[in-house]
Amino acid sequence: MWALVKRQCFQLMLVIWGVGTLTFVLMRSLPGDMAYRIAASRYGQDNVDSAAAELVRQELNLDQSVFSSYLSWLTDLLQFNLGNSLVSGLPVIELVQHQLGHSLLLAIFGIMLSALIALPLGVWSAQKGGAVNTALVWLSTATRAMPVFVLGLLLILLFSLRWQLLPVAGFGTWQHLVLPSLTLAISLAAVSNRVVHTSTRQVITSSFYRFSRVKGLNESQTFVRHGIRNIAVPVVAFIGVQLVSVVEGIVMIESLFSWPGIGHGLAHAIFARDIPVIQGCALMMGGLFVLLNGVIDLLCHTIDPRGQQER
Amino acid sequence: MNIKTNLSQTQLVGLVLLISLLVFSCLIGWFSPYSIDEQNLAIRLASPDSLHWLGTDNFGRDMMTRLASAILLSFSLSLLCVISSLLLGVSLGVSAAWVGGRFEQSLNIVINILLALPGLVLVLMLVAMAPGSFAVLYLAISLVQWTEYYRVSRAMTRTLINSPELQLSAMMGFGKWYQFKRHIWPTISPSIFTMAAFGGANAILTMASLGFISVGIQPPLAELGLMSVELFPYYIEAPWVLAQPLIVVALVVLGFHLLAGSQRESIN
Amino acid sequence: MTDVSYDEIAKKKSLIRYSLLAAAIVLCSIFGLWSNQAPQSNLNKSNTLTISGPWEISSLEPSQQGYILTRMQVLETLVNVNSSGELTPGLALNWQVSDDGLSWLFTLRNNVKFHDGTLLNAAAVVASLGHAQQKHGALNKADIAQIDAIGNNQIRITLSQPYISLAALLTNYSTSILAPASYKTDGDIKTLYGTGAYQMASFSPPHKLTVKQFSGYWAQQAKIPYATYLTGHRAESRLLQAKTGDADIVFTLDPAMLSQLTSNQTVKVHSNLIPRTLFLKLNNSHPLLSELRTRQALDLALDRHSIATNVLHAQGSETSQVLPRSFAQWYLSDISTSKLNLVKAQALLSEQGWHKNESGILQRDDQPFSLTLMTYADRPELTVVATAIQAQWAKLGIDLKINVTNSSMIPAGHQDGTLELALIARNFGSIADPFPIISTDFSNGGGDWGTMNWHNAQVDNAINQLAREYEPAKRFTLSQTIAKVIHQQLPVLPITSYTQHTSVNQRVQNFKFDPYERNYFINQMAFK
Repeated sequence: MWALVKRQCFQLMLVIWGVGTLTFVLMRSLPGDMAYRIAASRYGQDNVDSAAAELVRQELNLDQSVFSSYLSWLTDLLQFNLGNSLVSGLPVIELVQHQLGHSLLLAIFGIMLSALIALPLGVWSAQKGGAVNTALVWLSTATRAMPVFVLGLLLILLFSLRWQLLPVAGFGTWQHLVLPSLTLAISLAAVSNRVVHTSTRQVITSSFYRFSRVKGLNESQTFVRHGIRNIAVPVVAFIGVQLVSVVEGIVMIESLFSWPGIGHGLAHAIFARDIPVIQGCALMMGGLFVLLNGVIDLLCHTIDPRGQQER
Repeated sequence: MNIKTNLSQTQLVGLVLLISLLVFSCLIGWFSPYSIDEQNLAIRLASPDSLHWLGTDNFGRDMMTRLASAILLSFSLSLLCVISSLLLGVSLGVSAAWVGGRFEQSLNIVINILLALPGLVLVLMLVAMAPGSFAVLYLAISLVQWTEYYRVSRAMTRTLINSPELQLSAMMGFGKWYQFKRHIWPTISPSIFTMAAFGGANAILTMASLGFISVGIQPPLAELGLMSVELFPYYIEAPWVLAQPLIVVALVVLGFHLLAGSQRESIN
Repeated sequence: MTDVSYDEIAKKKSLIRYSLLAAAIVLCSIFGLWSNQAPQSNLNKSNTLTISGPWEISSLEPSQQGYILTRMQVLETLVNVNSSGELTPGLALNWQVSDDGLSWLFTLRNNVKFHDGTLLNAAAVVASLGHAQQKHGALNKADIAQIDAIGNNQIRITLSQPYISLAALLTNYSTSILAPASYKTDGDIKTLYGTGAYQMASFSPPHKLTVKQFSGYWAQQAKIPYATYLTGHRAESRLLQAKTGDADIVFTLDPAMLSQLTSNQTVKVHSNLIPRTLFLKLNNSHPLLSELRTRQALDLALDRHSIATNVLHAQGSETSQVLPRSFAQWYLSDISTSKLNLVKAQALLSEQGWHKNESGILQRDDQPFSLTLMTYADRPELTVVATAIQAQWAKLGIDLKINVTNSSMIPAGHQDGTLELALIARNFGSIADPFPIISTDFSNGGGDWGTMNWHNAQVDNAINQLAREYEPAKRFTLSQTIAKVIHQQLPVLPITSYTQHTSVNQRVQNFKFDPYERNYFINQMAFK
């Protein structure tokens, strides 16, 4: 048990270092003068000019050699100091906490809602089959083919404009969370309900399931006893994969709903060449990725201790 | 060349759908009297009429011509995306499983690091390195997608390596390429092609999400994802114009999904 | 023969319990994290004015996005400017300049309190201006030798060279006056203490800023207790916020979607001209652009009327002059906007040897007429106008590529000479008097956001004279000369003047729009 934890910790550190270094290398190979871009983000397009860029260059010591700046970054990292943003001067850790926290909140609620939508739908379509299944396939494909911002717009038009139930955009109260997570949930559920369907079908048509009916259990008892756990493993693995990729994939939702998430923040940081913010975000997200993978593996192991066929 | 003719009926429907979209696009491209960038600001956002069968966009450009050009561009670029990620992922996955040992372990670590790096960061940085180039944008998207091919091909090849038929071929003296062609590729190709079909559809949708944050805009090129972003503000004034690229994207995605087949929907 | 041991089952159950507990703890901590960032719980719709705009505010440093802080009435400047362009007293009651133009004396207002309770005095102003000089801002346009405090309520600014628009520089947000306690020792902002009608309540960078009324304000007390500024990234969601009443005031509405609000009863749309001009910056030393006739041809191939009416939905805003009508001193009232004339444009180009080749592109001695236009994505209308220009010039036979990039690439391209063409939206009202901008950017070789590689002795002389000329009639003549030369020589191609569209909810009374965009006048507003 402890060996496993130690190995995971080692992997975590290695991944964090690797992600940070890779980001550093990529950022340094970007063309263009960083000072100008940082000045543009600081002072706005009305006020950025060569004098501002020169000021930024001197203040931030951007002429430093690659090796020395990498070394200083590494020493800072070992002291758990993520540095300050080149644009605003505020500590990176605050920015990342604010934005990553909001993204995670949206992601987790979105995934939970999508599970609530996808699980019943998938199981139902597997049990009924036929016309219900075909209808659901078409509905899923149509929803999936829509860009997420169109889906979000439709929900806004319905819930905010027509029925005046929820605010259009922003953050701060639970009402602001509903529409973005619902948009995310629907777009995720369009995919995951098919996974649930496939998994359920596999279980329902399996011999042990039939045997349980033969030996006398009724439908619901069979489902609860033998169905759920067997259905769960591929579903949980899939949802885990979704959760991992959704944190930075929700840029469109964050942009549309003015949700202060990490996707949008990262995009702006890359446009501004704000290296500490990018590295800080990449590091945290990389660490999160390893952690989440570990949690998913643990969950899968708990549900099905026989071991995965994948690794 | 062995062409698999065991496509099911739904897969055939999907293929037909995609081919007819391509044919439509080529025909319109040849016969249309308009070009994709010819503007006529006086007739902007016109509804379909005899002059412009699908109406005009916010610059007065003919929608039908632009859609045709967009279909061709989106198709070719998503094909580029899929082929590059497929080649990279499958070759690395198969070699990792085959060679094993240190090579596989170190490759695993590299893969984990690459997977942990947020895909958005990678795409935006690659785009920043070569701004204005659409092909680079799609290559960047393929760099995010290739890891799936790696995982699947590696997992399947690992079980195949120890199978009797492969060992027999090796003992009989057949080379690595023969073994790959005859044993490994036929086994992994159904899953790979399924993933390729989904990947192609996803690439087009990813372009739309990038266009939403103002990346990759290069007037006057017509691309399905970018068109839906550019026409987004007119959702009340001229919803039929916004609906057109969306419907085409839906048809393309539907075609790809049908082509991918119904068994493997779990692999995304 | 399998023997199920109850130990195994018990171990499994405890593992499950612990992981569930861990997951629950993680969820709770996330909730805790999130609720920590929840704003004041005493804010509600009836006591808060919600303002939405496209600008982000990443820090409280006045030299950076200080314009949002002055607009929200947290910070104030020594000098103000009214909507007609006249300088009016702000925190300074009056000012005098010595005969040699090198010494300016400002008398400060009495009984003005900062938000931390301290009084405004000369020492605080000198400290504040000193900090502003260390950073990038308007004050660095003048050659300031020294700033002294004279007594308790006067300051003297000593210049090395006369600068006629010094008072106008002091209207800029980068020169706003902060309390000494606001600064850390290194000059960074610790806590923002200004003199405005509202004080800082909370700040969630880069999207949200909340202010609450300051009861010790020296002028008209605010009636609305709280005001929030929220960044809205997409124009579509800002418009929807206006429609549903989520946002009381929405600035910078997209003209393409204005028609959705015309029939709406709950909002009123205000459309005001602002001193911002959309123009094409040309590299006048580029081989294709150095000839006046070529620039004239490009000018005549622009269909400004169509761009103004159909693309920007602002009929009548097209212009052939760089400076807007509101700056009467610089505006030539006797000329009209040049109209589209493709025939003349083609004639001007074929005179110089340009003829269309088989692909319809102009060619001269195997060289095609190809140019790259740079613009930036921060303002969505720029990309749209650039696309329209691309198509208009294509009719002439010009192959124009469009490069949408970061706004800083334009000054960078100016400095290293690689810029060919740029479409920019220049704010001539950021300093109340356009003279500083004209002198740095449009004369003596040009500047980052003005002309490029353009030298004109007449303009340079006029600018040098204008720097020391106080007589209004002579100033008028000099300014008109400069404007005329720029209009005739076409080192830049102006296209339209900007119109700012703002939606105001019907529950807001006394909304007033500041064309210089320095102040939202929240303290004058009230709810019905």
